[in-house]
Amino acid sequence: MKTSHSSWTYIFIAHMKRDFLTNSRSLIDLISIIGFMLLIILLFPLGIGPDKEKLGIVSNAIIWIGLIIAILPSLEKILQKDYESGWLDQIATTDVPLEIVLLSKSISYWLIVLIPTILSSPLFAILLSMELKYLPWLILSMSIGGLGISLIGLNGSALILGAKRGNILLPILIIPLMIPILIFGVGINEAVKIGESPFGNLFLLMALTLIYLVISPFISALLVRIAIGR
Amino acid sequence: MFDWLANPNRFKRITNKLEPFLIVISVILITLGLYFGLFDSPKDYQQGDAVRIMYVHVPSAWLASLLFLSLAISCVFYLAWKHPLADIISSSIAPIGAMFSLLTLITGSLWGKPMWGTWWVWDARLTSMLVLFFFYLGYILLSNAFERKIDGSKSASVLAIIGVINLPIIKFSVDWWHTLHQPSSILRFDGPSIDNQMLLPLILMITGFSIFSLYIITINVKTKLIEKKCEALLLKSNLREFV
Repeated sequence: MKTSHSSWTYIFIAHMKRDFLTNSRSLIDLISIIGFMLLIILLFPLGIGPDKEKLGIVSNAIIWIGLIIAILPSLEKILQKDYESGWLDQIATTDVPLEIVLLSKSISYWLIVLIPTILSSPLFAILLSMELKYLPWLILSMSIGGLGISLIGLNGSALILGAKRGNILLPILIIPLMIPILIFGVGINEAVKIGESPFGNLFLLMALTLIYLVISPFISALLVRIAIGR
Repeated sequence: MFDWLANPNRFKRITNKLEPFLIVISVILITLGLYFGLFDSPKDYQQGDAVRIMYVHVPSAWLASLLFLSLAISCVFYLAWKHPLADIISSSIAPIGAMFSLLTLITGSLWGKPMWGTWWVWDARLTSMLVLFFFYLGYILLSNAFERKIDGSKSASVLAIIGVINLPIIKFSVDWWHTLHQPSSILRFDGPSIDNQMLLPLILMITGFSIFSLYIITINVKTKLIEKKCEALLLKSNLREFV
């Protein structure tokens, strides 16, 4: 099965291309995620009240939480379709390293789903009357934390392969893992608010994302092999 | 050594002999600990009698964390050597650990009402115990979420390992976030910061609780072994009918 193109970068790029192509044909998923997030954001002023000052204080946290909730339903799709169609089985029988394939899957999920959602956050910030000077930090922190979220999501998606009612189970398994990312991500702007340097939280968030970048492809590959072995 | 213990029949023989000792020792230790804790230990100079909740709260918290670690270790054994007994052990540990973490949360909230004035505060230690409870819950739910039991065991084992990697990270991040709870007062580099009269019942309770949970776990494991045997026998007789 060895081909001249079997170097890891080639495999990585080839799978990224595949994901980009398949996902760009169905932009409706992305639009529904952004719409869902918009609806979550809409619920907060209705619940808290239209007071601009109150909303401004919590806007940073609301956008973060909105992002996490909005992408939960789409997380299982990272692997589900390829598992059901048998594509993952085929990949696992070749000598292509599964870890690389899964890593490319979560990075392409980050680029295709999370980054566009995050880039639409100026809209949410205006709706929640957030001060615009916090916006760059918000986008930066969500972009970095988003990679961590998609790597954790890869783990979650691999955990429920073949489970009954996996889509209900997934949030219970995944949300506890996202706590550190939420804390450091929100902490960046909270530090800016009280006039401190945001870099402490930023570096911790980066470190965390790097840890997940290292461990989660291996854990997911283990899980996918278990799921395929069934 | 593990191969030697991993034989279900030998396991049953050994635990049958061990069981009476475990229950007797744990009952004695817990009774002594309760006596010293409730009647023969000083009141705290700030907290008064409410400090006596500690003799249940701290051992439960201790066991909730210890059992999660043992759960993960047994899951590693299951994934590495695929021995069914390891899976049975981890699935018997999980509900007990979940109960202990729930007990910690309940006693903590009972303790918090007179001390902090509320049933619940979003403090670092409380939050990480709640997260631990959710990991137990996730383990139990995931291991029952598959058509065949064995599929669930494998996925849930990986979840337990993910949990063990992530719990320190979550703990650290939550500590970073906010801390109101008093710091640990037994495991410290400069020796315990707690009076001996309070330390004695606490240690008695911790050992008592540990031995008691070991007792329940062995009973759980034995029940599951018998269940499995029954299933196998049923399957065999069904097959004979079928043939």
